[in-house]
Amino acid sequence: MKTLILFICLLLATHSKAQELFTYTEPASNIPAHVLSTRLMSSFFKEKDGSGTNIHFMPEIRYGISGKWMLQTQAFVSNRNGNLYTEGGGLYMQYKFLNNDDVKRHFRMALMGRASYNRADIHQEEIEIVGHNTGYEFGVIATQLLHKVAISSMLSHEQAFDNGKKYEFPNTQANNAMNYTLSFGKLMLPRKYTSYNQTNLNLMCEFLGQRLHNNGKSYLDIAPSIQFIIKSRARIDMGYRHQLYSTMERSAPNGFIFRVEYNFYNVLKKK
Amino acid sequence: MKKIFFVIVFAFFALALNAQIKSANLQASGLTCSMCSNSIFKSLKKVSFVESVESDVEASTFKIIFKSNENVDPDALQKAVTDAGFSIAKLTFVLSINQVDLKEKTPIEIDQKLFYFINTQNKVLNGQIELRLLDKGFVSPKEYKKIKSKLYSNGEKRVFNVDMNI
Repeated sequence: MKTLILFICLLLATHSKAQELFTYTEPASNIPAHVLSTRLMSSFFKEKDGSGTNIHFMPEIRYGISGKWMLQTQAFVSNRNGNLYTEGGGLYMQYKFLNNDDVKRHFRMALMGRASYNRADIHQEEIEIVGHNTGYEFGVIATQLLHKVAISSMLSHEQAFDNGKKYEFPNTQANNAMNYTLSFGKLMLPRKYTSYNQTNLNLMCEFLGQRLHNNGKSYLDIAPSIQFIIKSRARIDMGYRHQLYSTMERSAPNGFIFRVEYNFYNVLKKK
Repeated sequence: MKKIFFVIVFAFFALALNAQIKSANLQASGLTCSMCSNSIFKSLKKVSFVESVESDVEASTFKIIFKSNENVDPDALQKAVTDAGFSIAKLTFVLSINQVDLKEKTPIEIDQKLFYFINTQNKVLNGQIELRLLDKGFVSPKEYKKIKSKLYSNGEKRVFNVDMNI
């Protein structure tokens, strides 16, 4: 299985012509100004101790304040402790500071920042402020588009705090980390565009890694995904995330994610 | 006084009637996918003086028809594209023009904006012509660097540089 995923990813990377609306990471390109994007992400990760499937639902709203600024807010709902429970929420901002466009290609860079609150128990060494930890993250993203191929990379610092008043961050664990990602995407269909109604098919392969400061523990995941863009305004992502290696404790590293997105244009725009 | 007033009004109408921007052809840069193209399409359609937009997704080009009797503002078109997250690679205006005397280093006024003609000899413009904008943000950064030194500027009025070598 692992070899097969790696093979597909290598194939994509070498043949790659890609698109950059990645499933697991954000590209340096923002959503357009005055676009309101609604999303629902659901993830299904198998618990390593055999206690079942860890399900998360994350509704999101994103808004393009200008061509350079993007704001996103999301809620974290999970079944980790039995019934579905709203564990917290997060705020994300992205600022595009470099934009070099050419016909059918671009190189862009952006700064990102995220702050999250979570009141669930802390059950692993991995730090993940999207759905698990309270904390913040800031970093830089670089994205290159070359016709039908996109390559993107992010480097960030992530800091975790106590989860609410009830769950202190264990002082035996490292509470901050460096995250690094490398993503490849390719537009597979249509071969030639004739209208906005054509369904687009994108294939992606992403590498997601983390290194905990203080103790140097790390992991690296591979995450292939398939994406459909419908009528140029809706999006469906399906991805599988698989741990390549890990020296830290993670409760549910392998699993699937599904996302649906719908975009509204010219929202809150002054005439 | 009355005479002067009529002369001014007449001059204004004469100018307005002598040249009118009918449509534009815009090529955007920085995109491949149809979702990106759609963002530009929606953004352009929302510009107040735009009547309709037709797009060619494959070529990243847009044909824009303007409302008649409304002033066309190139800056508003540029903002619409950058707001969508992309850039203009090329923008040309299609004008219908009636006996306008073109002289070197002398701008002509269209829709209350001054247009300087670059690399164009003295001649009389008549009929349907197509002009390419050469200012920053209307051509690729590479191209702008090349032609920058030839462009005119004016401290008070927004000035556009154009050529007819399309």
